[in-house]
Amino acid sequence: MMFDYSGLYQFLYSVSSWLLWEVGRILGFIGIDSGNILYPIRQFLVDPQFVYFVALLLTALIYLVAALLFGIQFIWMERKFLGRFMDRRGTSVGFLGFFQNFADAFKVLLKAVITPKDADKRVYQFAIFAILAVSFMLLGLVPWDINWYAVNVPLALLLGLAVFSLAPFALILAGWSSNNKYTLIGGIRGAAQLIAYEVPLLLVVVSVIVMTGTLNFNEMVAWQQGNIILFIPLFIGALTFFIAGVAESERVPFDLPEAEAELVEGWQTEYGSLGWGLVMCADYLRAFIICALFSILFLGGWTGPTFLPGSVWMLAKAALVFFFMIWVRAAMVRIRTDQLLKFCWNRLLPLAVINLAVAVLIKIYAVGGW
Amino acid sequence: MAEDAKNKSTYQSRSELKPRAWIADGLRVTFKTLVRTTVHRPNTIQYPFEKLVKPDCYRGRPGIVLEKCIACSKCVRICPNRCIEMVPIESATLGKVKRPQVNVARCMMCGYCAEVCPTNAMIVTPEFELAAYSRSELMFDPFKLQFESKPGYEVCSPMILPSEIKAGKTEMHNKGDMAIKDTVALDAKKCISCSRCEKTCPVGAVKMTETGEINPKTNKPIKKPAFDNEKCVSCEQCVDVCPKSCLSMKEAM
Amino acid sequence: MTEMWVNMGPQHPFNHGLWNLRVKLDGEKVIDAEPVVGYLHRGWEKMVESRDYQQIIPMSDRLCYCSALTWSHVYVGAVEKLMEVEVPERAQWIRVITIEIQRLASHLMWLAAVGTDLGSYTIFLYAMRERELFLDLLTNLTGARMTYNYMRIGGVRNDFPENFERDTLRACDLLEKRIKGEYYQLMDMNSAFRLRTENNGYLSKEDAMNLGVTGPNMRGSNVDFDLRRDDPYEKYDEVDFEVCVEEAGDSFARYRVRMREMLVSIDIIRQGFQKIRAGPVRVKAPRTAPVGTAFYHVEDPRGESLMYVIGDGTNQPYRLKVRSPIFVTVSAAPKMCIGYKMADIPAIMGTVDMCVGETDR
Repeated sequence: MMFDYSGLYQFLYSVSSWLLWEVGRILGFIGIDSGNILYPIRQFLVDPQFVYFVALLLTALIYLVAALLFGIQFIWMERKFLGRFMDRRGTSVGFLGFFQNFADAFKVLLKAVITPKDADKRVYQFAIFAILAVSFMLLGLVPWDINWYAVNVPLALLLGLAVFSLAPFALILAGWSSNNKYTLIGGIRGAAQLIAYEVPLLLVVVSVIVMTGTLNFNEMVAWQQGNIILFIPLFIGALTFFIAGVAESERVPFDLPEAEAELVEGWQTEYGSLGWGLVMCADYLRAFIICALFSILFLGGWTGPTFLPGSVWMLAKAALVFFFMIWVRAAMVRIRTDQLLKFCWNRLLPLAVINLAVAVLIKIYAVGGW
Repeated sequence: MAEDAKNKSTYQSRSELKPRAWIADGLRVTFKTLVRTTVHRPNTIQYPFEKLVKPDCYRGRPGIVLEKCIACSKCVRICPNRCIEMVPIESATLGKVKRPQVNVARCMMCGYCAEVCPTNAMIVTPEFELAAYSRSELMFDPFKLQFESKPGYEVCSPMILPSEIKAGKTEMHNKGDMAIKDTVALDAKKCISCSRCEKTCPVGAVKMTETGEINPKTNKPIKKPAFDNEKCVSCEQCVDVCPKSCLSMKEAM
Repeated sequence: MTEMWVNMGPQHPFNHGLWNLRVKLDGEKVIDAEPVVGYLHRGWEKMVESRDYQQIIPMSDRLCYCSALTWSHVYVGAVEKLMEVEVPERAQWIRVITIEIQRLASHLMWLAAVGTDLGSYTIFLYAMRERELFLDLLTNLTGARMTYNYMRIGGVRNDFPENFERDTLRACDLLEKRIKGEYYQLMDMNSAFRLRTENNGYLSKEDAMNLGVTGPNMRGSNVDFDLRRDDPYEKYDEVDFEVCVEEAGDSFARYRVRMREMLVSIDIIRQGFQKIRAGPVRVKAPRTAPVGTAFYHVEDPRGESLMYVIGDGTNQPYRLKVRSPIFVTVSAAPKMCIGYKMADIPAIMGTVDMCVGETDR
């Protein structure tokens, strides 16, 4: 059996058809002829629709594992780099401290699940799934190479940002249902912050859309491959996107929702064990997606010298952007809520608008089909 | 009130304190640290594998050299937490003697026991990793308390008498010097010649000597304690046991 | 949102130690605040009534482990006054130098705490890194890292070890370079840090004086008062130093006062090493104190600390009263917090430099 490596879907489709064929062979379904009573089952096993369904399940599984791995890898990266920024070593369990995260993950898995007595239990549980679903869904929308993606819809960018804007809803639910004053304040702060920073984020994305004329990630990258990486003409926009992205992923200096000095752990305070572990992972996953989006929108995604595969370039660029996030975290203190929002409306929004104007001007006046 | 502060804040006008480039300075400092710690080693010490270099005078748990100890219980007396206790022990070389036992769980590592020890039997040790699974493990009996001595582990706080300062001297005395030693004074009228002080003295500095008088009832010579100040370690045990409290400490000032 | 009371403490990341700041919030705005202390009460003042005068010295270290030397110093100072003991000159200079080293270590500990309060672990680790230098110096001198048991009634425990002067001056040089370089760029010149600390926690000059706030917090409110200059003890009258006063009265002013005080402390240490002469370091003190009372107050890193001791002719004090600077300063917390945002509270109370060990005693 030959596997088709041309894309994630093709690969998984061939894997699942091979898998089903093998299952059928071992159970003895393959040899039976059309007269047998079990023949419909044999037909079902090789039915393309069913194979497609199994391939979908496989994709989901792979994305789940990949998401957790990306989260863990970014936590590791943050630990090591932040350590060096602060004149210390960071974690050093196992090879370069890489196993610390797995140890932490297992520890979190083994903790008892405790729900606060007065919490609204259903909403409390649902909020975790909402946050997780939002983050994982975003991961599914981001392509890693020209053919490596889970879904490739024409309006991928729009869909992604729509999914992103669901997060404040989940935050408020989590903060309210925990029945704790800290989580309540944290949830409301989080919602205010995410909603506010969505605006400059969207405006910057609009400027990219103006430049490339498409909403599809693949075509955006193809446009940048053909012309110029957008970081150079849209420098202001890239900066704005970066700052707004840091705020969207709730990291220092904009980690107001979970400001541990005054709000213990913000809206996550009452979550424990696996719930907290998943929320934490989703946090880093969101940071990771922001980095991936940044590299697709401004750094040309998977384009790069061909001695490395495209997905490696993509990951490297995302890691580079994350390095800057860590750097900013090391050099800054947390901003206050009102200052945060003021900064958004007074500074970032004008910058985003200027950036949009720049994009439009370039689009109109630049030569050579730009 | 916030408006008040805005008006009062004087830093806005000070040009030297105006941030020049938002956070760029901070970014530069942290990046320099990143480069330095990546090229060289970071400032931290990987604790269980490498440890801080401790000076000899480091005050970890107290230790004891059993041979030097004379069971004067000065350490028991000075201990602020009352965690030292004299317990009877039996060993091949020493026989049946009393030696201090330290409850390290209550010890606050002040080092007073080593500072007052007249023979430097009690020492400070650099041992500070004292975590144990039970409280009884932290009860260090004299054998467990033993530690190999080094000159640096012995504590001495040299001092000078106020009268010497007035006389213009600057030489300081180590512990045990005759000049700064507190001595025992006897109120001979109260003494009933019970000779408990002689029995209790750890260094044999008290001798019951005949005063020349004779007890009219028994016709035996009356004995009173005489104190050998060279040998005395000012442990005050005789003061404590005296039934008629006729002994007192005379401080050298 | 309706108004609600929030308990910030006794177990809360922002309060260093066990105390509780109850704040009434209207949304994010603080409209009322009430500090609750007493969670760490150990009965210290009663406990020392059954200890000898000498045994109390290591216990007075435990009042505040960040500045143990100053606390044992104020204790031995009070007892020396009661016993009328003359401290030798070299011992006085040693006290000045070690207390200033302790002040540096304490202020660096405060800076580290401010770093975590404001969400920057970089500041925390940089400050702790520098503090380690001074803890190492004091370890070499006294044999312990935090609770030194170094002061003695009538002097100090021992003389300087070998190379102490050289090591101290090197550490001071390094710290001076870092304060003027790294810290200045990381904090004073950092817009984010300025945004968090400026224009909040305003304490007016009148309020500071009326509420009994002392030390750097008071000098941050434009009160030019420093016990080292205005009621000099030990050898401070022979040292030429500047009293750091800031006019603004906000959190950043308190921050600046402490940062400048560190530079002043370095200056005092250098002068001290120039002026110190050989001589005895400890004079023998009597065991018993006469009947009478005495008090002694010093400029602690956190404010004016005072001890009042009553002797009854035995070798144990009849009563020992501690005036803790932070116990008084924390009563100004409502004045400083009301009207600002909840997110300002860590910045405000962080620059006040809470130490609960001495507050609750």
